[in-house]
Amino acid sequence: MKVGLEFELNGVRVAAMVAPHKRLIDVLRDDLHHPGTKEGCGEGECGACTVLVDGRAVNSCLFPALEIEGRAVTTIEGLARPGARLSPVQRAFAARGGVQCGFCASGMVMSAVELLGDNPRPTDAEIRHALAGNLCRCTGYVQIVESVRLAADAVDEEQES
Amino acid sequence: MRPRRYIGEDHARPDSPDKVAGKAVYIHDMVRPGMLYGKIKFSEHAHARIVSIDTSKAERLPGVKCVITGANTPQVRVGFLRDNLALKRDRVRQFRDEVAAVAAIDPDIAAEAVDLIEVEYEPLPAVFDPVEALAPGAPLVHEIDPRGRPCNTNRLPLDYGHCTGDIDEARRRSAFVVEGDFSTPVVQQACMGTAGCIAEFDMSGNLTMWAKTQIPFLAQRDFNRALMEMGLPGNNSRVIVPALGGGFGTGLDTHCYEYIAILLAHASGHAVKVVYDREEEFAYLSPRQSARTHIVQGCDRDGRLTFRDVRVLQDNGAYASWGATYPTVMLVPITSLYTVPVVRFQAEIVYTNNTYCQAMRGYGNPEVTWAIESNLDDLAEAAGIDPFELRRLNCNRPDTTTPMGLKISTCGLDQCLDATGEKLGWAQRRAADRRTNGDKPRKRRGVGMASLIHVGGSGKIYKSDASGIILKLDDYANVNVYYGGVEMGQGLHSSLSLAVADALGVTPAQVHINETDTGTCPWDVGTHASRGAFMACNAAILASDKLRARIFQWCKQLYPEATDFDLVDSVITLGAANGPSKQLELAKLLRAIHFRDDGDMLTETVFYDPPNELPNWKTGIGNMSATYTFGTQGVEVEVDEETGDIEILRMVSAIDVGRVLNRQTLEGQVYGGIAQGIGYALYEEVKMHKGRILNPGFTDYKIPTAAEMAFPIDLVFVETDDAHGPFGAKGVGEPGLVPTAPAVANAVYDAVGVRITDLPITPEKVLAALAQRD
Amino acid sequence: MPHYEYPRPTTLDQARELMAATPGARFIAGGTDLLVQLRKQRLPEPPALISLRNIEALASIHAEGEVRIGSGALLTDIAMHPAVRAHFPALVASIDALGSRQIRNVATLAGNLCNASPAADAAPPLLVYEARVEVIGPGGARAIPIDEFFTGPGQTSLADGEVVTAIAIAAPAAGASSTFMRKGRVKMDLAIASVAVLLQWDGTRCTRARVAAGSVAPTPLRLPEVEGMLEGSSLDDQTIERAAGLARAAIRPITDLRSTADYRRALVGVYVKRAIASLRGGAS
Repeated sequence: MKVGLEFELNGVRVAAMVAPHKRLIDVLRDDLHHPGTKEGCGEGECGACTVLVDGRAVNSCLFPALEIEGRAVTTIEGLARPGARLSPVQRAFAARGGVQCGFCASGMVMSAVELLGDNPRPTDAEIRHALAGNLCRCTGYVQIVESVRLAADAVDEEQES
Repeated sequence: MRPRRYIGEDHARPDSPDKVAGKAVYIHDMVRPGMLYGKIKFSEHAHARIVSIDTSKAERLPGVKCVITGANTPQVRVGFLRDNLALKRDRVRQFRDEVAAVAAIDPDIAAEAVDLIEVEYEPLPAVFDPVEALAPGAPLVHEIDPRGRPCNTNRLPLDYGHCTGDIDEARRRSAFVVEGDFSTPVVQQACMGTAGCIAEFDMSGNLTMWAKTQIPFLAQRDFNRALMEMGLPGNNSRVIVPALGGGFGTGLDTHCYEYIAILLAHASGHAVKVVYDREEEFAYLSPRQSARTHIVQGCDRDGRLTFRDVRVLQDNGAYASWGATYPTVMLVPITSLYTVPVVRFQAEIVYTNNTYCQAMRGYGNPEVTWAIESNLDDLAEAAGIDPFELRRLNCNRPDTTTPMGLKISTCGLDQCLDATGEKLGWAQRRAADRRTNGDKPRKRRGVGMASLIHVGGSGKIYKSDASGIILKLDDYANVNVYYGGVEMGQGLHSSLSLAVADALGVTPAQVHINETDTGTCPWDVGTHASRGAFMACNAAILASDKLRARIFQWCKQLYPEATDFDLVDSVITLGAANGPSKQLELAKLLRAIHFRDDGDMLTETVFYDPPNELPNWKTGIGNMSATYTFGTQGVEVEVDEETGDIEILRMVSAIDVGRVLNRQTLEGQVYGGIAQGIGYALYEEVKMHKGRILNPGFTDYKIPTAAEMAFPIDLVFVETDDAHGPFGAKGVGEPGLVPTAPAVANAVYDAVGVRITDLPITPEKVLAALAQRD
Repeated sequence: MPHYEYPRPTTLDQARELMAATPGARFIAGGTDLLVQLRKQRLPEPPALISLRNIEALASIHAEGEVRIGSGALLTDIAMHPAVRAHFPALVASIDALGSRQIRNVATLAGNLCNASPAADAAPPLLVYEARVEVIGPGGARAIPIDEFFTGPGQTSLADGEVVTAIAIAAPAAGASSTFMRKGRVKMDLAIASVAVLLQWDGTRCTRARVAAGSVAPTPLRLPEVEGMLEGSSLDDQTIERAAGLARAAIRPITDLRSTADYRRALVGVYVKRAIASLRGGAS
């Protein structure tokens, strides 16, 4: 028996009917046409499915859909600025080589957004610890860490202006 | 040579913005009208006779559109030895054998239907070790070969070898000889985007496959063959490659799941998507082959290498795929890493009831470089020569030919060794032999290094090693590129667009690379052997040169007073003998050419065949690449003698890259390779028990995270400007991971005096070895 | 395809009523272990997963006298709580090592305990802090001392229908210090072995010692023999060596997919030694 669900997705109120066993990632990809969040493992090990719920990074593959009732979700689709401009974190990843095949990118960027929201000037060690739940097989992480550092500077500047 | 405008600098990738916005479209995201979801039933035994398959309950489940088995579908043979079937008929030979499949309206129903299929098996004796599989009386994995003739051995009918000189004589002559046995485990490519495809037939019986492949054209060949076997002779397959989610070799063969998708699409009349989840990816996709290597190396009193004798035994698993052909690439380091006058190589590849293996980055090179470079340090110790000095002495030289017949053109290995030695502080750190770190008891530091040789100008393993390209100019000076190679994250599109921009004279933003599609792109053998940028950019330069020539011919016709021409960033400069030069936008010229009487549109195509040859695999002779990439990696480790823990303190990676095309993507390739090398060295291993994979998930198959890659990495790119390379560049896709494991093992030996010979170098093994040492 | 219901009660009474009315149902909080086990069919599918995530009364952390961590409190919040950070550094260290940020943002301490893996990261610290697990059930409310909570791999002493409401920990006495050490194959990994130590050390004598180990027996366990050796001693190097030896003898590690019995045994000895030395001050 499907259950009605209402929540905020990237700042917009949305509704869906979901079976009780469905996960947040299923609702986003299958019901609400937000395929930017990717499933890498389904077990909470790889972080590819990371989204923010009330500002906190979670694995959407392990988040029961019904728990999103009344809460606010931010996905990769919600970061872009008006006029299809990338957010500072996304721009930094694109500029600094933080993306290769791109499958981990959505999750990696969302984790970086959570980190910089809590800790605008993280050390390298803090960046690595915050991203330890996001696996990447392509980059070796060096340029990802550089991207986050670049993003930290850019977010700083944007906030000053 | 014109000055380079874009090549060599640090450029953001053109595909990054879409990927970072979540807009790149992977197979996982694609939906076709009326599409069904396919799921596969896999074997529950390593070796068994299939007694019966009852699909009746599955067929009755609402939402199920068709259920197929080997019994109700045409037989489709799979694999280059044709020893596999898409759906098994009377026998399963490994745990992942595909026995039945379902297409349903959603993936949940498909999965439920698979559980409702009942298969009765009669277990058969199985064999899980290649040595046991070769013993007389061992159960035969295949009792008849693909041509119906009886088999009497589990040895694969593949002949690889090499023999230059007299091994016994060279051994007798040597002042120092060291033998060793080394092994590497099965590891998984572990792409973040799992395997999958969508198969769809049109009403004329032609097939379109959206495939996670690195070989679109060889896949087309394979799928066309399958269509013939399905009673659709003359029908065509079209293979389209969307954004991939990683490759690392997983896409170098066609897989049973792809043929099953085709069979489901044909049986149901709908498009069918088959996608693996992570557990299926680990349990049912082909990983990297394991290898057991016996090696003997010798040198004279001065340290000059006298011979190298290598024997490799490979556990092939139940069916043949590219894992069985690793010896073709193993030949390269075995015969040609450092200067060795006498070489012998023997390889034995054996069927077992374990999972069958296929290509993974490095393709046999990491496996044997592990043995060669570890053993070389042992040889250095026996000879009383510093391991760096030994390598430097035997370093490959430019303009030489190796025992395999590899024609080394440029070679910067000496510079790579020197850079590594210098940046590691080799002399000082080795001299402080066996010292302790004062305030951290029982922790000892050490340094180690290892080198690599790999194909850098493609690697010929098929009757054609060519790549075609089409460059099509439109009315706006956009260059539409059609290239049959695959962007799987390595940065091919970046290098290619920069190459076209530089060679033709437009801006990178004007270069648009189309989707890889066998229907539109010229033929390419596949994106492997680190050949992507080398082939694409060489083809692009040739085609751009042709376009430039035609553009300038038109200029001459339209502006007869001009004496010379140049084209940079889409602006043509018309030089005059007397008087100022004039500038003209390329787009305007192109429209003038298009919209006149007897007009023209400028499109050029080139089919580039590199100067290499297909070796004779039995003798192991042939110049398989147009040029060779060299490198050295050095690492400093700290070993905790009480826990066996190895901490990587820092690493240096020096590579002779010929020429840097895009600094950012090149660094990315090397960093990524190093991460895979670290995983290979320290903790990656597919664990199996009696053919069953015990760790089919990231919980127990550990790959490096950002936290493991915290050590500083010094990258050195040596530019030797190879004449065969585009702008002088060599292929660098695979080298990053080749020497990492032996470099780490050599550093561990320097630190604590224990030689670990079986990867991965786990703390358990180190601690056990330390206990034996004391 | 799963068919379970997923009710989301907002009070503990509602949750317990649902449980009583649905035989075979299971409580779920963060679900990061439970949902994976269901997906892999390692558990029979229950008719319902009764969510505890929306019961406000369970979500908070109180610090008046002792610290009471509600069973619905999230690991991230627990590790950041000033009272937890001040009094229970070993617990904070174990939480920081427990999975990723994404996991810690939804998982609960109570869930980690109820999952009762022999490798439960939070268990050794809670054992040395002598926590109490407060539960309520058909038989009423009770507090289970943590060292009576685990009865076997995946098994607890919770009776049918009982649900954890809080984990209560009294702040250690002044002068006590504690530490936690663990090892995985990589940094974010299940523990191959872990050790927690709490010592009360006045500079000359150890007046109180609590030692616990994880991943080296069917349950996380206290090591009373080691504690006995340390209490009253001057924590000299010889005593520490003997304590490490007793620790190695007291545990029952196995060889499995992740590591070997020999290695785990050796590692526990080393960690006990290093933990004590670090709390005592100065290298051994």
